[in-house]
Amino acid sequence: MLPPDVHAELAVLLPPEALLTAPEDTKPYECDGLTLFRERPSAVVLPETEAQVVAILRVCHAAGIPVVARGAGTSLSGGALPDPRGVVLSMAKFNRILSVDVLSRTAVVQPGVRNLAISEAAAPHGLYYAPDPSSQIACSIGGNVAENAGGVHCLKYGLTVHNVQRVRALLVDGDAVEFGGASLDSSGYDLLALVTGSEGLLAVITEITVRLLPKPQRAQVALAAFDDVEKAGAAVGAIIGEGIIPAGLEMMDQPATRAVEQFVRADYPLDAAAVLLVESDGTPEEVEHEMGEIRRILTASGATSIRVSRDEKERRLLWSGRKNAFPAVGRISPDYYCIDGTIPRGALPLVLRRTAEWSREFGLPCANVFHAGDGNLHPLILFDANREGEIEKTIAFGDRILALCIEVGGTITGEHGVGIEKLSSMCSQFAPDELDRFLGVKNAFDSAGLLNPGKAVPTLARCAEFGRMHVHRGELRHPELPRF
Amino acid sequence: MNAPISRDRRFAPEALAALEGELASRFAERAVVNLSIREQHGHGEGLADAALPDVVVFPHTNEEVAEVVRACAAHRVPVIAFGVGTSLEGHVAAIHGGVCIDLSQMNRVLEVNAEDLDCRVQAGVTREQLNAELKGTGLFFPIDPGANATLGGMAATRASGTNAVRYGTMRENVLGLTVVTPEGRIVRTGGRARKSSAGYDLTRLYVGSEGTLGIITEVSLRLHGVPEAVSAAVAQFPGLREAVQTVIAAMQMGIPVARIELLDEVQMDACIRYSKLEGYEAKPTLFFEFHGTADGVAEQAGLMQQIAAEHGGGEFRWAVAQEERSALWKARHNAYYAALALKPGSFGFSTDACVPISRLADCVLETREDIDATGLICAIVGHVGDGNFHVLVLFDPNDPAERAKADEFAKRVSMRAIAMGGTCTGEHGVGIHKLDALRAEHGEAVELMARVKRALDPLDIMNPGKTVPL
Repeated sequence: MLPPDVHAELAVLLPPEALLTAPEDTKPYECDGLTLFRERPSAVVLPETEAQVVAILRVCHAAGIPVVARGAGTSLSGGALPDPRGVVLSMAKFNRILSVDVLSRTAVVQPGVRNLAISEAAAPHGLYYAPDPSSQIACSIGGNVAENAGGVHCLKYGLTVHNVQRVRALLVDGDAVEFGGASLDSSGYDLLALVTGSEGLLAVITEITVRLLPKPQRAQVALAAFDDVEKAGAAVGAIIGEGIIPAGLEMMDQPATRAVEQFVRADYPLDAAAVLLVESDGTPEEVEHEMGEIRRILTASGATSIRVSRDEKERRLLWSGRKNAFPAVGRISPDYYCIDGTIPRGALPLVLRRTAEWSREFGLPCANVFHAGDGNLHPLILFDANREGEIEKTIAFGDRILALCIEVGGTITGEHGVGIEKLSSMCSQFAPDELDRFLGVKNAFDSAGLLNPGKAVPTLARCAEFGRMHVHRGELRHPELPRF
Repeated sequence: MNAPISRDRRFAPEALAALEGELASRFAERAVVNLSIREQHGHGEGLADAALPDVVVFPHTNEEVAEVVRACAAHRVPVIAFGVGTSLEGHVAAIHGGVCIDLSQMNRVLEVNAEDLDCRVQAGVTREQLNAELKGTGLFFPIDPGANATLGGMAATRASGTNAVRYGTMRENVLGLTVVTPEGRIVRTGGRARKSSAGYDLTRLYVGSEGTLGIITEVSLRLHGVPEAVSAAVAQFPGLREAVQTVIAAMQMGIPVARIELLDEVQMDACIRYSKLEGYEAKPTLFFEFHGTADGVAEQAGLMQQIAAEHGGGEFRWAVAQEERSALWKARHNAYYAALALKPGSFGFSTDACVPISRLADCVLETREDIDATGLICAIVGHVGDGNFHVLVLFDPNDPAERAKADEFAKRVSMRAIAMGGTCTGEHGVGIHKLDALRAEHGEAVELMARVKRALDPLDIMNPGKTVPL
């Protein structure tokens, strides 16, 4: 429940349909793409103008009410999970593309614009926006910036942080600031990078200038089958090791391929232990040359078959399997849990082997579908929440994978963010002095801790508590949270 | 902006005496108070306005750097990191006195992971040293500021170079850092994973922080495959406008040129004389380099030639052999020294404006008109593919009026770029010379930068007086 005076102040700022407090109205906002965590906010506000957002922030700041900004609600780490004491600030109505500048190859967009809509608007000019998270038909660019989203093509074209040039944002007290600028470089501290991936803890984004790229003249994808997962992992290293950075380099193992094939009918090789999708783009000559090299390396790495797309239709079909892997897996298992650990590429064979061993040990199937070129794993642990003990086993399995990722020099999250989900794992990945730097940054932006509280960066006290919990292995972590 | 700098010590002489004693007993001959060494460490390559540190320490390990910083923090004495002293913006001048930490003896390449295209080096490794050590791996590190700077210094100033248009700047190529915090603790940011969304992006916060938030002691870098084929070409143009329009058209078409450098007629004249380039005229000139497969390079070069011809460019002169290319790029890298030689006895400094490509022609041409109106001797050179260009401004050090005129001009260059949506510094950094411009460029966000500085360095001992106005 909002304090009555705060409710009254917000009601002056917003029309009734833009201020939701009834349980039936706020229910759709109780979780994001990570449905294990649910929390009912005190209110949901849906402003339409930046002036309204400024006013909302001022009211909440003065009253000490937490604010959780939300885009399309597709986060996989609980980044948009409401705070029960707070307000969900939906940016959904900020859905306009303000300009496309062909000469500078940039577009100025509002945060609620869908990722794919930017490329659609740029297409008539032969341009597109490169980062392409699998949820790109639904996810919003504001959320992409907040989470530093990646995607299949970020191996060659970079993450969101490499493709955003300027962000206009509001600080917790409603003051407007701009990070970055219209030129490729900017002076002073790189606050643009700091706010990118800050998961809504530093500022509320109201406008974004993204970089656009010329659409490659040609793109072709090779689908290579392997009879052994480790061989496929080694092939990934072999391609990159030769200095080739493909436009996309993705891997799916047999459980994933089989799930996907039922869903998209792309004629994937079902007997293969793993498949790689390797894309080359550029001018026709470049693609032909690079594809030749890729075929040679794949063959030398032991590929049992290689299929290269003959036209755009076939290319899209081959990719559709990868892009629909999550929903496809959702069809074959009552529940699945996606891990986002990222490792140096050289460690791929080791981590894949261990994951397979643990899958047998825990008795939980695991489908691997991931951005292999970046070393960004997405093991999908399949389980049934209604079966006694499976939730706990799934968590233990996931923890082991993440611990291994840290051990081989990787990170607990490559692109999904920490959110609420991986808060305690942060204590394993970072030392107290490092967490202390994060907390210093947060303090510089939002000393009262009102923006998206309880996410992304754990307090040192929490880590101390986690450390104690760590001693008693097998106990459910953060019991204060409803999981699964 | 480029005015002489003053020195104002912020600590008591007793604090310094105590600190000197501690450093001497811990580091012996590696803690130096000798005047000539201090003089060497009081300035970069920009202007000769030196501000001497009180002590220079030469640590060998992360832990030793941390020890020095802890000692300085205990006495509230400033700490200034120093690589090889090639900064152009006064970054290393000890304007508030203090201890200079010279990292040049931390010069080991710690690991090269060829299959992962990355490496980790100590901060004192220079870019040329790294590339020499990478020979035979098929990999290279592309970022090449004019000077043979250290990688720690390049990270700290977010350096860039002639091929940023293809390979990016230090912002894109630093994967992780080891940093000694103002409390003297050692933290690691980023790592060997290609991407991470765990926590705030401290790596990029420290990249470009110019030693004001901590001291970078190790750098993990992204490496690139040596291209199969490389070719370089030179084209000369009847006027500056035509040369710049050629660049804009190439960028718009998305030709993945690896380097595209503009030299105006004054700079070209200087390079012809200084580097003995034969067969060129003192006309606006573009240097190109193409990287890729043999076919790809031929294709890119063909397109580029067509665009240049449409803009009145002369015949391409090719440099395919390694030696010819090296001579060409050496001439480019020596542009600063070549320009200085135009007027013997003069001092010089370089402006560093960067604008959106769509405004590049306006900005360069207005700047050239401005130069002509001032009567100063100035040369324009730049990595125009990313909208960044430099004006090398010469002035007589014994003529205060000329120096003032040069300073005023430099200020106008920054402000013109900012007015066009650009920045006062594309790659040299803010240092002490561009604090005012920073405010003009970022407005409110400067206060936020100051808050970040205060949060991470509450005692203000890390390179104080630089980068962010407090």
